Amino acid sequence: MSKAADQTPVLQVRDLQAHFRTRYFGVNREVRAVDGVDFDVRRNEIYGLAGESSSGKTTLVKTIAGLLKPPLEMVGGSARFSFLPEWDAIGRAPPEVVRRIRWRHLSYIMQGSMNVLNPLRRIRHSFRDFAWRHLGGSKGEFDARAAAHLERVKLDPSVLAAYPHELSGGMRQRVTIALATICKPDFVIADEPTTALDVIVQKDVLGMIRSIQQEMGSSVLFITHDMGVHAALTDRLGIMYAGRLVEDGETPEIFERPLHPYTRHLIASLPRIGDVKQREGLEGTPPNLASPPPGCRFHPRCPLAMPVCATTVPAMVETLPGHRVACHAVNPGAVA
Amino acid sequence: MSALLALDKVGKSFSRGGLFSSRRVDAVKEVSFALQDETPEIFTVIGESGSGKSTLARMILGIHAPSSGSIRLAGQDVAAYERRAFMARVQPIFQNPFEAFNPLKQLDRYLFMTAERFGEAADRKAAEGRADEALRQVGLSLAEIAGRFPHELSGGQLQRVAIARALVARPRLIVADEPVSMVDASLRMSIVNLFGRLRDELGLSIIYITHDLATAYYISDRLIIMQKGVVVEEGPARAVLSNPTHPYSRQLRDAVLTPDSAGAFRGGYPPKAVPASGAKP
Repeated sequence: MSKAADQTPVLQVRDLQAHFRTRYFGVNREVRAVDGVDFDVRRNEIYGLAGESSSGKTTLVKTIAGLLKPPLEMVGGSARFSFLPEWDAIGRAPPEVVRRIRWRHLSYIMQGSMNVLNPLRRIRHSFRDFAWRHLGGSKGEFDARAAAHLERVKLDPSVLAAYPHELSGGMRQRVTIALATICKPDFVIADEPTTALDVIVQKDVLGMIRSIQQEMGSSVLFITHDMGVHAALTDRLGIMYAGRLVEDGETPEIFERPLHPYTRHLIASLPRIGDVKQREGLEGTPPNLASPPPGCRFHPRCPLAMPVCATTVPAMVETLPGHRVACHAVNPGAVA
Repeated sequence: MSALLALDKVGKSFSRGGLFSSRRVDAVKEVSFALQDETPEIFTVIGESGSGKSTLARMILGIHAPSSGSIRLAGQDVAAYERRAFMARVQPIFQNPFEAFNPLKQLDRYLFMTAERFGEAADRKAAEGRADEALRQVGLSLAEIAGRFPHELSGGQLQRVAIARALVARPRLIVADEPVSMVDASLRMSIVNLFGRLRDELGLSIIYITHDLATAYYISDRLIIMQKGVVVEEGPARAVLSNPTHPYSRQLRDAVLTPDSAGAFRGGYPPKAVPASGAKP
């Protein structure tokens, strides 16, 4: 964790539950995509969330950002931002409150930059659409500000006149980063922002996210399944499996002393250049969240599984200072 | 030594733009390499998006005809093959297993169709035998797959079915275009290890197209690195990746983030001479 990170949480997530609920012909179906997640994101840090596809990462951040659409519902728990203390979740606040804080205090960098930028509008207009109402000033002043901000992500101001299709993938992703940060928000959510980019461009974009974050002192919730990216970028890291957080702690600590068997597997299975050791995939398949296994959701694939794992949900316990893990093998007797 | 696949100065150009403003874009320029019959290997093609690696794969599969040069399979030009005879020897595996299969079609039907068309299975009974054999080679069985639809399986299982489908035809060569980039992290290594087993046990050659240098290092025998349609470096995989000589290959290798690159950006980027407040104590 960076020393500058101060301990007051900007975001406090407590026992958050978000389910997809559908009802066809009287048959109820419930997919528990996020099921009891607890964590804090502190001021001035990058908190990473790792986990494979369908582990609930994106559902979790959508719930935190209040972007809920049926059939996704926030069923219980809270996700409280320090800049919105009167509401226990953005999704529960009235629309006019949400409009006021969105982009000014909370912004969202999405995976597909093409989906964020309107293909029929020049970049300049996208900037005006998103940020002008929050920053104010005359049109000329605003455009000058946008141009100056684009230079921060190493883009030429002429980009403002371009349409999205005229830019390369890396340039578009940098435009979305610029859009998300121009109002200097307190909190930025970045959902797989570099997954579609190639490694060289990815390295630039990640470095840019870090330097802008440090300049503004904001907090970033960074999601990717790529453990290499987490190692290089994040201050603290949470590992998700099947809709629950199984481990979290400071990133170097997680990589040096992974405690949960799933985390250990994730880190041990990464091939490295210069290392020819045989690496194995994990047996079994990720669980179906419509009927997840009882007890610890990892137990059918776990090398350390014990009888208790099949019946009882392990509690998330601070096993080492600042390092929490939910596993019966690590914390005997800790029950949720 | 006879060549299983030989590419000789293969090029492909597309024209872009309107009637008067058309420009020629060279997607692949003068690529040459050969895979030998006697030594099955995993041959990796590395490159960023837009480097022409997928265009190269499509030419090897006979989907696009090269604009210049020649591609010969077992001594005969790819274009001269009868399509079914060609597909019996060369089979593809695609990036996204969820898109490769029709969601409304049972998976076993793909296996039977491949067996009947390219695998010379005379009837359904023979096709079932071939399908079961191929599924067992990837660690599944026909009993598990029969009647199942794509949404019932995970990405890793589906990709294994896609590999089994390719194996049903008993090909000599498999062209796999980014086969693990859509597979869950916990299952990725089992797919990569499976490629190694197919090479060692069945004597299959595999052209493995990827941008992931770490798995390329882990599994492949030889590789080429492409940039803007041109091969900039080639050779034995581990030697090249341990010690890349071309500036682009070095740039690629240095951009790979691994658990060992911990805190690479913590001091900001580009790294400052004196680490700022963010540096690890």
